[in-house]
Amino acid sequence: MDKIIICRCEEVDLEEIEQTVNKYGSSARETKLRTRAGMGYCGGRTCRPMIDTILEQLTGEKPKDKIPLKVQPPVRPVSLARLGDKTHHE
Amino acid sequence: MLDVLIIGAGPAGLSAANACREWDLNVLVIDEFPQPGGRLLGQLHQEPNGKWWNGIEETRMLLEKADALGADIRCGLSAFHIEKASHGFSVYTNQGVFDTANLLIATGAAESPVPIPGWTLPGVMSIGAAQVMTNVHRVRVGNRGIIVGVNVLSAAIARELQLAGVEIHSMALPALNIVNEEHGHPRKVMERLVRMAHLAPSAWIRFGSQFAKIDWMRNLAVKFYPKHGVKMWGLPIHIRKAVTEICGKDQVEAVTICDITAEGERIPGTEQTIEVDFVCIAGGLYPLAELAAVIGCPFQYIEELGGHVPVHNEQMETPLEGLYVAGNITGIESAKVARAQGALAGLSIVKRMCRESEDLKQKIHEAKQNVRTIREQVTIQFHPGIHQGRLKMETVFKEVCDQ
Ligand SMILES: Cc1cc2nc3c(=O)[nH]c(=O)nc-3n(C[C@H](O)[C@H](O)[C@H](O)COP(=O)(O)OP(=O)(O)OC[C@H]3O[C@@H](n4cnc5c(N)ncnc54)[C@H](O)[C@@H]3O)c2cc1C
Ligand code: FES
Repeated sequence: MDKIIICRCEEVDLEEIEQTVNKYGSSARETKLRTRAGMGYCGGRTCRPMIDTILEQLTGEKPKDKIPLKVQPPVRPVSLARLGDKTHHE
Repeated sequence: MLDVLIIGAGPAGLSAANACREWDLNVLVIDEFPQPGGRLLGQLHQEPNGKWWNGIEETRMLLEKADALGADIRCGLSAFHIEKASHGFSVYTNQGVFDTANLLIATGAAESPVPIPGWTLPGVMSIGAAQVMTNVHRVRVGNRGIIVGVNVLSAAIARELQLAGVEIHSMALPALNIVNEEHGHPRKVMERLVRMAHLAPSAWIRFGSQFAKIDWMRNLAVKFYPKHGVKMWGLPIHIRKAVTEICGKDQVEAVTICDITAEGERIPGTEQTIEVDFVCIAGGLYPLAELAAVIGCPFQYIEELGGHVPVHNEQMETPLEGLYVAGNITGIESAKVARAQGALAGLSIVKRMCRESEDLKQKIHEAKQNVRTIREQVTIQFHPGIHQGRLKMETVFKEVCDQ
């Protein structure tokens, strides 16, 4: 079967994620760090739900109460200049 | 400093702003889209009573009221971070930092993708993107397309595309893989469709009532689903065919589709190529709650609400003092519910800022009742278990606050 891209920002496909999980028995977070799936430009907004589902299917890691893949700021792509700008509106 | 900052100018955010302005609070609404209205802008569907729900018209009414009340709404502002501060919250945007005593997050929902081979080719888009291009930007998404994923939302939008003169070849399921189990399994898809058919627009009623609601009938319906699909508005809907691949060199040129068993397994030798120049994928919606996660609001996974949802009570308060949520971030429901929730959230904020009066108490009571009534009556429901989902959340809120 043709490959199925999961993380389009980092071009990580399903097979690579499956192999990583099978080889290392990794959690969602560890899989992300090993493959870079979820660490691209969109900040995981596109692929995060898919990665959670794959992990649930492969390892039974349930989507718990907490967000399984932690969300880090900035939640939108933003320039460094903007990130450093602390000007407060009145 | 602001009394209230509202992130998201959809039906929830706008009606919350109006409620706050009615009590003279100092309000700012920000939205990253170039125009206010949120997902309301793209909506156009006929209700069972024959009346049309026109999102652009509904948005106009909300904005007229906001204008009369002097609410400040600014578009093109994207919030990327929130911090707690002694005064309340500091919200970081692409246009500076805003300080506010109260914060309402009304960021709505996002779409889940449906990964199948070729889904990243140009010409493949989410069903919501097709809706926005067609109804908001008035851009033709293509000449002939296919919709991958059969659910209430994709059927409603298929109809909108048809009305705009775009040819839709058919709707079919995505080929089953470990990621799209929910959307690629004929029995699961049928289950959802039938349980919701009773409340949807007229064409749906006809569609749903062809399969009785009893288990064995439903199983038979899946088993003996017509080869040529069931037509709705002349559009064939297939739940025993799946798109296995989207093909093309630099952009979408065709899809491969094949017959599947009632369990979603491919039937070899049934592959067919259909020429299309665009593909819409529809994997359902989930609450867009990233900002609530960043600020440290507790979360709960509730399937009936669409996934991970910030913990909140019926008054739209979160366990974090001064932080409120409303609309689809609290669970996937129709625009009417979002609007009613927004008004209630607005009043809850008023309660925190003003001295509580009998009048306000009464208004909050009415607004709460209104959310319940509307939830009972809506014609578009995304999850049949929405009531149970809401009850679960009430319990979780109490548990979290007791700790
Ligand atoms: C594609 C799609 C189609 C839908 N179609 C229908 C339909 O036909 N009928 C129906 O009843 N319901 C439909 N819905 C459900 C819809 O979510 C609700 O109807 C309703 O619009 C929810 O209102 P809301 O105010 O919660 O969020 P929304 O209307 O989604 O508004 C949220 C707003 O927040 C803004 N925002 C998000 N994040 C940020 C940020 N970080 N910074 C600044 N602004 C931000 C967004 O730009 C958006 O304008 C649809 C949803 C989607 C996603
Ligand atoms: S799709 Fe994975 S980070 Fe953007």
